[in-house]
Amino acid sequence: MRNLVAGEARKALTGRIWWYLPLAGAWLCLITTFGYVSEGEKAIASGSTALAVGQDVARAWMMMFLLAAVFGAVAVTRDYGSGTMVRSVLLAGSRTRLFGAKLIVSTVAGALFGLFAAALGTASVYLAPGPFGFEAAADGETALILFGVFACCTLAGPWGALVGWIVRNQTAAVVTLLVLTLLVDPGLQRIVPDASKYLLTIAMSSVYRDVKPDLLSLPMAYAVIAAWLAAAFFVGRRLVRTRDIA
Amino acid sequence: MTTNDTAVSLSGLTKTYKGVTAVDDLTVDIRAGRVTGLLGRNGAGKTTTLRMLLGLAAPTAGTATILGRPYAELPDAAHRVGVSMDGMGGVPGATVRSELRIWCTVLGLPATRADEVMEITGIADAATRPVKGCSTGMRQRLALAAALLADPEVLVLDEPANGLDPDGIRWLRDTLRSLAGEGRTVLVSSHQLAELEQTVDDVVIMQRTLRYAGTLADLTGHGATRLEDRFFELVDPAATSPAAENLAATAPTTPTPSTAAPAAVRTPERITSRA
Repeated sequence: MRNLVAGEARKALTGRIWWYLPLAGAWLCLITTFGYVSEGEKAIASGSTALAVGQDVARAWMMMFLLAAVFGAVAVTRDYGSGTMVRSVLLAGSRTRLFGAKLIVSTVAGALFGLFAAALGTASVYLAPGPFGFEAAADGETALILFGVFACCTLAGPWGALVGWIVRNQTAAVVTLLVLTLLVDPGLQRIVPDASKYLLTIAMSSVYRDVKPDLLSLPMAYAVIAAWLAAAFFVGRRLVRTRDIA
Repeated sequence: MTTNDTAVSLSGLTKTYKGVTAVDDLTVDIRAGRVTGLLGRNGAGKTTTLRMLLGLAAPTAGTATILGRPYAELPDAAHRVGVSMDGMGGVPGATVRSELRIWCTVLGLPATRADEVMEITGIADAATRPVKGCSTGMRQRLALAAALLADPEVLVLDEPANGLDPDGIRWLRDTLRSLAGEGRTVLVSSHQLAELEQTVDDVVIMQRTLRYAGTLADLTGHGATRLEDRFFELVDPAATSPAAENLAATAPTTPTPSTAAPAAVRTPERITSRA
């Protein structure tokens, strides 16, 4: 299994996705950071605090979890798209071993995305306010937000991989993740807030300590995320074992 | 393993996709240490058969074993069976060398093995070339190089001559003969009859159903008739030419789709269809 995981890691590091997805995520998060700090002085003048602005900046880095999920999905689906999946399965020893190896690699990749986001988030909290005329401020809550960002990225890696195993087509898997994260879940949160808090990405809002109302408690949020991952795991594993390999 | 051993065994193998039968009740044993050609037209079910043999597609009925076990249950299968399937692609962004090194890592082989198989398959000069930029022939050689990484006992090659230029085809022929000479079993699917006639020891002809299983020598009357003529006679009896009919009359009884089984009686070798 160690060889298989190492081989899958080498595969994940081949090509451009291992660097352009984190860079794309950093770009998106920096734009959001810029938005918060450029309006920071005005927000403070109208009653907010530098601490609250700093927490918003930290929270902006939660977007990296979407890129971690896309990475996980691409790590699986590009094998199908390129025709590599046949050799991957044959050399893995069994389909479930390959399924497990890709999940491990996606989880580690998610954690690395999380570390990257937490590091840049911390730098943003301390360095971004200065040029915009107010003092940087952070507290324990800021640290918890950044830890939440790390945790969400770590969990998003395998989530993306599982979606990849279920959907198999790269474009469809990436679109599924984007639509669920950016349209379906937020849309349902507006329409049915009581039910939508049990959706995966809305539960993640609790983990990175969003300030929206009607969110789950942290333990409940982790339980809901675990349930989604477990459901996707069992569906994905069953499909991997039973469907013909294209 | 000797040539009397069965390397690949298919029994009643059937695959149906949404009501369309791609492979129908295929039963055949393939001997070890021989080059066996799996012949058929495009869409005859050759690739589907190989995919079922390798556990990539589940048979609707029947069984397929390789070295005595289904591929998924074969101990150390990745080291014992080398595979090149039509449509297998490279890892996106990989060079020829890095692609092979990825598979070396998966197989637990030293990275130097990648260089060895590049030498064997004649792609050492292209080691740093992106796989995406390789010609079709170069990719075929790369696929064979990947199949040879673990020095397998059995090679399963799906249309390995596709896209090869004359030099490549000659190289492939020599390589396959050389591999069989080392005692390996080579199962190669193709529709390039003239080429396979110079390469294989045994022949399995299928057109959804089994049409022939036996030695090339028996099929062609030890060269008295061309493989191509016998092939068309078997897969499309209505289109048989008068010349082929004459030859058929002198050759051993040809199994028709419904009577493929008697080939087992007719042919003494272990590559036989089984009732």
